[in-house]
Amino acid sequence: MDHDFLFDVWHLFVRALKKTIRTPIVIISALALPVLFLVLFTQIFTQFGNLPGFPAGGYVQFAVAGVIVMNPLMDSGGAGEAVVDDINSGFLSKVLVTPANRTAIVLGRLLHDMVMVLLPVSITLALAYALGATVITGAPGILLILFTAAFFGLAMSGLAMAIGVRTKSSQAVAGLDLVIAFPLMFVSTALVPYGFLPHWAQAFSNVNPFSYVVNAVRVLMSTGFVWSTILAAYAVIAVFAAVTIGATLYQFRSVER
Amino acid sequence: MVKAVETRDLVKRYEDVEAIKGITLEIEEGGIFGFLGPNGAGKSTTIKVLTTLLRKTSGSVTIEGYDIDKDAREIRKVIGVQSQETILDGDLTGRENLTLQGHLQRLHGNALKKRVDELLTLVELSDVADKRAAHYSGGMKKRLDLASTLVHKPRVLFLDEPTSGLDPQSRVAIWEHLETLNRDEGVTIFLTTQQMEEADRLCHRLSIIDHGEIVVSGSPVELKHQLGGDTITLSLANGDSDGAKDRSKRIVSGVQGVTKVLDIETGLAAYAKNASALVPDIVRLFDENGIRLTSISVASASLDDVFLQHTGRRIRSEELSKVDTWKRHV
Repeated sequence: MDHDFLFDVWHLFVRALKKTIRTPIVIISALALPVLFLVLFTQIFTQFGNLPGFPAGGYVQFAVAGVIVMNPLMDSGGAGEAVVDDINSGFLSKVLVTPANRTAIVLGRLLHDMVMVLLPVSITLALAYALGATVITGAPGILLILFTAAFFGLAMSGLAMAIGVRTKSSQAVAGLDLVIAFPLMFVSTALVPYGFLPHWAQAFSNVNPFSYVVNAVRVLMSTGFVWSTILAAYAVIAVFAAVTIGATLYQFRSVER
Repeated sequence: MVKAVETRDLVKRYEDVEAIKGITLEIEEGGIFGFLGPNGAGKSTTIKVLTTLLRKTSGSVTIEGYDIDKDAREIRKVIGVQSQETILDGDLTGRENLTLQGHLQRLHGNALKKRVDELLTLVELSDVADKRAAHYSGGMKKRLDLASTLVHKPRVLFLDEPTSGLDPQSRVAIWEHLETLNRDEGVTIFLTTQQMEEADRLCHRLSIIDHGEIVVSGSPVELKHQLGGDTITLSLANGDSDGAKDRSKRIVSGVQGVTKVLDIETGLAAYAKNASALVPDIVRLFDENGIRLTSISVASASLDDVFLQHTGRRIRSEELSKVDTWKRHV
């Protein structure tokens, strides 16, 4: 790959990382969320695990995958808000008048999101272990789970960024993010097995990228290296990421107000 | 010799507004060129088009010989751009801001470190270099912003109102930096301004721009010279009642030595070589004709007078709005 390109990605990644580290409240809220979700969901829905037809292993073992994949979904807004800030402060224009590669400008920030999401995902995994969940595929499986969550983060943060560049409004990013995140999260296999979903929800779940990613993490947690499920998730994420990043780049043309 | 900036019939149209209406420019390397004009004249839009931020609607642009349609990336390597708003990353320190700009210009290692130190010294920010830029004062931010456009030693520097909103002391400091850069490093500077004083002091050549068009071009001295000397400003006590303005105009035009008379909001502006010597005569003539004056003053012609002559308006934004109101009444 082009040396200059990697150079640009790296330095814009480092910039994004410094900004986040210097505003630690962002990290703290990102860490609190999975703890909250995991404890709340597993407490409230724990009786589900005893229903006939529920996968073996109990509710915690089942729901961990859902909560893991919620992290990249819930944390994606940051990328959108950051690009809105950069547009409104003029910083993006300042970068655009340098020879910096346009794709690298987007990927620098998204790489930051991929790395940052590993923190809450790791916390989720550790807490789930404390609550009795296990990862059947062991250390390689855990690595693959981390990678899957980060890869999904690339696509979701890319979506937030595309919305940010399009609307130039933080409120729009936060609002749309929720409107998009909730159906993806709840009309999926994240918290309920596929067979428990009503028919319309099953139909939606079939095309819901979130379900594909949750299923991949879930097989790594409970079944094994089921490559058909894992690769299906990667294919879905790749398409999703390509579309959102492409949309962002396309809109860079109209960054100027 | 290659031109620093060359445009031909440059047009930028937003949906229904033509912000630039066919600008043709040739700027030699090594000079300081100014775009003088009021708010909304098209100055910023021109800079944005020239610096690859906005797409032009039609016409051609070359910067340092590179065509903007084909070689935008090459252009970005040889230009430095400072926008009207001060743009910095407040979460980063002064040093980090400069280093990041250097990285994006593909500089690295010791060479970059040295360059950043050099610039911090130049803009007198060495002792606060490792503090976050958000904590800097307005003047310091502006200086850091300027330094950040210089990291890669650009050959052409575009500055959009480089001293707007600064106190007089910071303004002079920026002017001195720009003069040094131009003189010692041969950087071509293209700046926009609304301030006569700035244009007068810095620019070797300038174009006055109004409503998206170049009204007149030349060196500040040439432009002022064309007016034919000093300005006599007359304020009429009773405004334009009883056609006082027209009568006054005829009186002043008749005075020997007066080359030009223009309407201004409060009265008239007249131009003449030895203006002070004409004042007694003018006062006497007004007395004889029964037109009361509230004041009469003499000043050497300024760029503001040049602007007035070519557009019929003063450039200063606060006066501009008054003139517009007055025009509507007429």
